[in-house]
Parts: sequence; C-alpha cells; structure tokens
Amino acid sequence: MIKQISTNIFATIGDKTINIFVAAKTLFLVTLNTFRGVFHFKSREKGEILKQAYEIGNRSFLFVSVTLSALGMVLVFQVCLQINKITGDQSQVGPEFIKGMIHAFVPILTAMMLATRVGAGIAAEIGSMKVTEQIDALRMSGVDPIDYLIVPRFIASIFMTFILGIYAALLVILAGAFMAHHSFGVNYNVFFVFDKVTWGDLIIGSTKLLVHGSAIPVVSGYCGLTTKVGSEGVGTATTRAVINSSLAVIILDFIISAIGLMTIQ
Amino acid sequence: MLKLTDITLKLDGNLILDNISLNIQPGSIWGIIGPPASGKSVLVKTICGFFKPQRGSILFNDTDICKIPEAKMLEIRKQIGMLFQNNALFDFMNVWENVAFPLRRSNPEIDPGQLRQKAWKRLKKVGLAGSENKLCSELSGGMQKRVGIARATINKAPLNIYDEPTAGLDPVTTSKIYDLLLEIKRQNSSTVLAISSDVEGLRDFVDNIIVLYEGKVRYSGPEKDLESSTDPVVHQFVRGEEEGPL
Amino acid sequence: MISSFFASVGEKILNFSKIIGGIVYLFYQIILALLPPKFDLDEFWRNLYKMGVKSVPIIILTAFFTGGIMVIQASVFVKKFGATSLVGWGAGYSVFREVGPILLGLMFSGRVGSNNTAELGTMVVTEQIDGLKALAIDPFRYLIVPRVLAMIIMLFLLTIIGNVVAISGAALFGKYIAGVSYAGFWTSFSQNLYLGDLIHGLIKAAIFGFIVSLNSCYFGISVKGGAVGVGKAVNNSVVASALGIVIFDYILTYNIT
Repeated sequence: MIKQISTNIFATIGDKTINIFVAAKTLFLVTLNTFRGVFHFKSREKGEILKQAYEIGNRSFLFVSVTLSALGMVLVFQVCLQINKITGDQSQVGPEFIKGMIHAFVPILTAMMLATRVGAGIAAEIGSMKVTEQIDALRMSGVDPIDYLIVPRFIASIFMTFILGIYAALLVILAGAFMAHHSFGVNYNVFFVFDKVTWGDLIIGSTKLLVHGSAIPVVSGYCGLTTKVGSEGVGTATTRAVINSSLAVIILDFIISAIGLMTIQ
Repeated sequence: MLKLTDITLKLDGNLILDNISLNIQPGSIWGIIGPPASGKSVLVKTICGFFKPQRGSILFNDTDICKIPEAKMLEIRKQIGMLFQNNALFDFMNVWENVAFPLRRSNPEIDPGQLRQKAWKRLKKVGLAGSENKLCSELSGGMQKRVGIARATINKAPLNIYDEPTAGLDPVTTSKIYDLLLEIKRQNSSTVLAISSDVEGLRDFVDNIIVLYEGKVRYSGPEKDLESSTDPVVHQFVRGEEEGPL
Repeated sequence: MISSFFASVGEKILNFSKIIGGIVYLFYQIILALLPPKFDLDEFWRNLYKMGVKSVPIIILTAFFTGGIMVIQASVFVKKFGATSLVGWGAGYSVFREVGPILLGLMFSGRVGSNNTAELGTMVVTEQIDGLKALAIDPFRYLIVPRVLAMIIMLFLLTIIGNVVAISGAALFGKYIAGVSYAGFWTSFSQNLYLGDLIHGLIKAAIFGFIVSLNSCYFGISVKGGAVGVGKAVNNSVVASALGIVIFDYILTYNIT
C-alpha cells in the first residue's frame, strides 16, 4: 500500500513537472500576447471594455461589499480582543488598522474575492465558447481570441479592481470603526486617524491592486482557452481558474509585500 | 487550390492522421466519409490550421500553412468559409450579427447600413427572413444550421468547408440543405469540402469522395468509381454491410 | 426602467430564497440519511483520499506564502519600533485565528468544492444520478453524505497542516526579510499564543468545510443544461461558498472567543 502510494506520488510528481513546464510556457505566451493585444486597437469591438467593466462591477459589487465589510469587522474584533488582554490601550487600534488594511489586507482580500467571482466567470464563459467551437469560429473569421476576448477583460479588470479596491478600503475602515465603537467603545475620532498612512502604504496598496487586477483575467482566460472538450471540461476549467488565479494573487501579493518592505516602508 | 502531402498528425501521442495526401482542384466538390473517430473533423481542422501536423505540408494557393505563424494564418482563414459540426454560433450575438461577423471582420471600414443589408439578404437566401433579430438559442436545429451556412458563405470565400451540414436533420430538410449548398457553390464558384455521416445524401451532392478509416485515406477519387473500389473497408462502409473488417 | 429594476431585484430575491431553501432542505436530507449513520464507506475513503491527499500541495503552497505575507505585515512594526518580540506572536495570532482558516477555506472551496460541483453536475448532466436511482441506490447515502463528511474532516486536518506550514514559512521569511532569529520568533510565538487560539481557528475550519460541502453538493445536483450549465454551477458554488465562509466567520468569531 505504502509502496504503491509512494511510486504513485513520484509518477504524479514527474507527470506534473512536465505538465507545469508546458502550462507555464502557454501561460507566458498568453500573458505576452495579452500585453501586446492592448495595442491592437482594431481587433477590439467598440464599447467592449466598458461592457466588461460593467459586467465585473455588476457581478462583484454586492459580493465584495458583503464579504469585505464582514472581514473588516472580524479583523478589528480580533485585534481589539488581543489588545484588551495585553495593554487595554485601544487608542492605537484605528490608525494601525487603517494602515494595515491599505497596504496589506484590502488588496489581497478584494483580489481573492474577485478571483473567485470574476475569474470563475471568465473561465466559465470562455470555456463554454471553447467547447461549443465558438473560439474556432472566431479564428475562422480572422480574429485572435486573445485580442478579442481576453484583452478587453484584462483592461476592464485592472480598472475595476482598482476602483473596487478603493471602495472596499473605505467600506472596511467604516465597518471596522463601527465594530470597534460598538463592541469595545472606541471613539470614532480616535479611530479615524489617518496620519499613520504613508505614501509608501498607498503605493504598495495600489500596486497590489493593479497587479492582481491584471493577473486574474489573464490566468482565468488562459484556463478558459485551454478547456478540454467534453461534459466535464467547462467545470474543470472553472475550478482551475479559481485555484490558479487565487494562487497567483497570493504569490504576487507576497512578492510585492517583500519588495515594499525592503524598499519604501 | 489545396494540396496535402504526407500529412501526419499525432495528438496526445495518438496517431490521428496517417500520411494523408490529397489534391483538390479549384471548383470541385469533395465529400469526406468514414466511420466515427476516423479523423474527418480533425482533417478539416488541420486544413484550417487548428492543428499543426508533425510531418507533411498543406499548400493553400501555394502557401504552406504548416509553416506560417498564427498571425498570418488568421488572414488565410478569411478565405475559408467553415460550417462547424455543432454550428458554433456566437451566443452573445443575435442571428444577423452572427452572419455579419465574418464580413465585418474582413472589411472593418464597411458601412453599418450596408453590412446589415448584406447580412439580411444572405439570411433571406437561406430561408430565414423574419428571424434576423432572434437569439440563436431560440431557433430549431435546422434553422441554426442555416444560420451557420449563411455565416460560412457570406464572405464568398474561395473554399467552403461543411462539417456535417445535415446531421440531425430530417430527410426533407436534408435535401433542401444540399440544394442550397449547390446553389451557393454555383453563385460563389467556390471549392467545397463536405463531411457527412449520411453517405447516400452526400454522394448525390459531390463529384469526388474520400474515405477515411483510422486516419488513413482508403479511397480518394471520383464518386462514380467508389463502388468499384477493391478495398474491403470501403466496400463494407459504402454498402453498409454487417460482415467485414469494420 | 424602474419597474424592470424592481422586477430584477424581486427575481434576485426569489432566486436567493430558492437557493437558501434548497440548501436547508439538503441539510435536512443529510441528517435523515445519517439516522442511522449508514452510508457508502468505500466512497467515503475514496473522497478522503481525493479531497484530502490531493489538496495537500495547494494547501502547503497557500499556507507558506500566507505565512510570508503575515510576517511582512508584522515586520512593518518591527522596522518602526524595533519590537522583534511581536513578530512571532503577530504572525501566529493572525494565521491561527483568521487568515489561516479563511484563506485555506477559500482555496479548499476552489480546489475541492468546485471539483465536487463539477463532478456531481457532470453526473446529473449525463443522467448517472438517475441511473443510480434506477438501481435502487440512494444517491444521498451513496454520493452526498460521504462527500460532506470527507470535506468536514479534510478541511479540519488540512488546516492543521496549513497552520504548521504557515508558521514555518513565517519563521523562515521572518529571518530573511525582517531579521528575526528563529529563537526570537519561537519565544514570541510560544509565550503569547494559547491553545485556545488554535482551537478557535480549527472549529472555524470544520464549519467552513461543512459550508463548502453543502454549497458544492447543492449546486452540483441542481445543474441544468449540459457542459455550459456545469461551468455556471461551479461558478455559483465557489461564490456561495466564499460568501458563506466570510459570513459564518463573522458569526463564529463573535460566538467562540
């Protein structure tokens, strides 16, 4: 049993390494072509970027609102609870919370939520087009599917992730203040102190939003375009999109945080 | 028009097309028949450049499409009108926008009014007047096929490929579709390549026929000589007999 | 314009109620199937392996980088106040109680939950579930209950692994990024954290596992419309799971302190 499992594991690892190299190469090409496609103005439909931006906003506004405000309240609750145990001085909760939200928590949590909502949506949509041969039909009309499908979603997602991130930050801070006031009696004017927030925090937070916003549609679009034909195909592609774009967000977030800490913070 | 030499294609390690050579003259009508999974759809998709064969060459009007990059292939594909097996209609567009799409992409400067007029005219030609603004999902299977045919032929491409133009249709609609395809062929003076599982109907429509079996060409030549082929596979498949190698 | 707005809001509310109702009804049927606890043990083991063992790499990867992100977050203070003694505690506290269960829960939902929806959905689309019924096999005892139990157990166990990896990752990155020695990290970690913090997170993990399992099974068995429908169901299932995880995180944080 154990021997069988261990040989299985090695065989799987070997298979996976090869697969990972092929996948990495394809993903790299999709990324490259997406960046190039941004300048292929003629291949895009008029108004497509706006339509996709509306689609992303419409799909995720409520979702981001609910999840991020709940998370904001939970995070404040945990912080206050711990401070109560140690010093009991709640005056620093607000400023430090606001700072932490802006450079760390809001970008990654918003992006994780969008990876789930928007990433899965993009993969399901493009994957469905792939299995019904609509992607091939596009190519028969001389249209590059990356230019036509991924690039508008890419531009719209960068823009919308940024906007939704700013909105989420405001919402989280308000929700956090509300929770701190209600459960721990922290005064609003003690909580809303923004002078701990530096330019560095704002730059790191914005960079994260922009990078995550560009990674999600590329990774999920890649998962959609590589959908395998068959009744399981679209479901599997959607699954892969959620996992891969979430993972991309976490790893990119780590890299940007590390660079940020070592340079401007 | 189209000259295939020694095309060999493997997908995920499986040999799908085995040493296929064909020479298709301009203006001719070719039919491709064969049992399921014999490589018919893959063959036409290879001609459209969706699969890169490991060996061999495909000359399309003297351009070897196996050797050109995707960006150039996109231009070549505009000269091919393709009807997909499951129609592959765009579900984010209505009927007339679907039909107009290839025309709009090959003439970006076209006037919107003219584009609409041309698409509507084409839809009338295939007998779909009145359905222009419907969604494709609202149409029956036969009507969706017609939309697919209208989209495949609107550009008056020199080569038309039809993958199962009559699959799942009743005999009356089938013969109407073949008449329509013949009429379009005469008007556009195009070369036609059609796949079908309906051997009898297809034989009335084509001049030349290819029999594929396990990725190999077992017969290629004039339709009228098909019966005299000595290959047991061809013999059995065409006659529909139960006894034999199949 | 206004009436269509209200119509769409009304439709959304109706849809939402239908989903909630469907999930509650599924819950009720699972309870019924557990009384007495008779379910397919082979299927249970298969799912434990498939959902648990196969998710280990993704959980390790997520946890490792999560630990890194948390230690960087704590290091911002170290740089400012020189408070090295805070790093181990800060990273450990946030990983154990909040970030660990939530991020691992989301990844689990993406990996296992959506796979489960796709699998059940494909079975519905290809009429395999009707086939089971025709063979007089109860699809709840055979398909749903083993999956639900496997997901609860596996997310609980994976969160333990994830916690260990995240703390190791935090210690490693703490040393190389924030310059906190392993010993310093460990002292800060072990002196300020309690078993309660760990248990708080693990209770959450088990409940998140249950939420993911209910959602993914519900959306899987109510698939309509072929391969495209399966994609939509997976999409809805991960969104509902994320929403469920966050909302229950809020409720649980309040109630188990």
